[in-house]
Amino acid sequence: MISVRNVHKWFGELHVLKGVSLDVKKGEALVIIGPSGSGKSTLLRCMNLLVSPDEGDILIDGVRVNDPKIRPEWVRQQVGMVFQSFNLFTHLTALQNVVIGLTKVKRLSSTEAERIARFELERVGLADKADAYPAQLSGGQQQRVAIGRALALNPKAVLFDEPTSALDPEYIREVLDVMTKLANEGMTMVVVTHEMGFAQNVGDRVLFMADGIVVEEGTPEEIFERPQQDRTKTFVGTILG
Amino acid sequence: MRITASKGLLLRIAFGGIATVVAVFLLYLAGSVGLYDLDYPLSLLPPRGRALTTGLLATLGFMTVVMPLGFGLGFFFGWARTSKVWLGRAVATTYVELFRGMPPIVLIAFAVLITIVVFRGNDRIDLFAFASLAGVVALAAHSGAYQAEIIRAGILSVPTGQTEAAEAIGMSKATILRHVTLPQMFRVSLPALGNEFASLIKDTSLLSTIGGLELTFQGKNLSAVLAVGGGNLDLVIIIWVEIALLYFLITFVVSRTLQAVERRFRVPGLEAAQL
Repeated sequence: MISVRNVHKWFGELHVLKGVSLDVKKGEALVIIGPSGSGKSTLLRCMNLLVSPDEGDILIDGVRVNDPKIRPEWVRQQVGMVFQSFNLFTHLTALQNVVIGLTKVKRLSSTEAERIARFELERVGLADKADAYPAQLSGGQQQRVAIGRALALNPKAVLFDEPTSALDPEYIREVLDVMTKLANEGMTMVVVTHEMGFAQNVGDRVLFMADGIVVEEGTPEEIFERPQQDRTKTFVGTILG
Repeated sequence: MRITASKGLLLRIAFGGIATVVAVFLLYLAGSVGLYDLDYPLSLLPPRGRALTTGLLATLGFMTVVMPLGFGLGFFFGWARTSKVWLGRAVATTYVELFRGMPPIVLIAFAVLITIVVFRGNDRIDLFAFASLAGVVALAAHSGAYQAEIIRAGILSVPTGQTEAAEAIGMSKATILRHVTLPQMFRVSLPALGNEFASLIKDTSLLSTIGGLELTFQGKNLSAVLAVGGGNLDLVIIIWVEIALLYFLITFVVSRTLQAVERRFRVPGLEAAQL
């Protein structure tokens, strides 16, 4: 569904992505792990063109989307994103956070948008918090609203950029539960995470990145129990203790 | 965003009323202990009243042009200063440095002189009106330079995560500016804008230097007349007290209005202490 072909990205002198290729299949949960600074976040941002690749191609359903003729706004509607720091719009209620994309991007009527938004909040278990502002919600609740905001636009895939890294431990579970439910419903997901339990139990495939390249990929069992590359062995050894 | 509760509004009006009554009382107390003479000749009342009324109307007139124009310039150039386009930033920065770096009175003088030089001898236009207008625009441009920095500070206060999240749901640049950046920046910028407006109201007095018949001009004029007529210093003091009170009232009303706007931009969970 999403294909990344030999993508390079430089930030000034810094060569962040050094020729990354991967395929995300429809309905799969692909988990990306790797040390910080390995280019995981940049890779995700290339997949919805928040960052435009300097070299290489991004294809969605076979269509090359990093093309000047294609509006990046259109691409971003097809591929949702959930951020480490939630980034809910602070001046809007939970409901309005989900509504705004439907009315201002998809141009739906406000009644229709509100109907969809309430359904999405229900889906992430926050129907009763519709009128709360982000500052009145816990981190876990904010992140679930953010997931609802991404889902409301009915994307083909959702990218998760370390969705639980900014959360207090007691809120991690509720967010992972929502993500697990999504994966079970067949949503195509790309998840950058340090939650190895989630990667092992929910991930269909795991991809290990370091220094801007894909070092190794395989099933969770292959990566966590029988890693082939030395760097993968070291990393997996560190995080699994 | 919430509409202000009417009970709170009544309370604030009552507070403003009480403050005004106290101020007037203190002034008359000062008169009663002999700081100035309360028994000024009543015959002088009508001309003084007329002069101050025209002055007040002129000051309000200048305000209605200078404040929106200054805000418009400030908003545009403040936004341009945060632009990703090099040229936009360069033009806006030049504007800010130029108009912030000179006293408003010098800018007003320049504007008037340049207008006179350019349009001199052209019979079809009213040169005095044109020159006055140029002075008004110069004052607005001066304030706009300050307001540009206030707007820029507001825009920079919106975390990049907010615009990134807006981009990620496919919003266009214009939609992001209108629905994400603006509502959040005003929350931050409004107190400083209130400060600038308060300062600008009193800066309209600088337009007296180019013959704007506003409050300060009327005060100077009345003082001069009274000084010639035997030097009634008590009456001169009263006139300036009245002018000060009028400026105070205008500024008070404007700053209270801005605080009401500020309340509209308040976000539950993010609010500062009650105003």
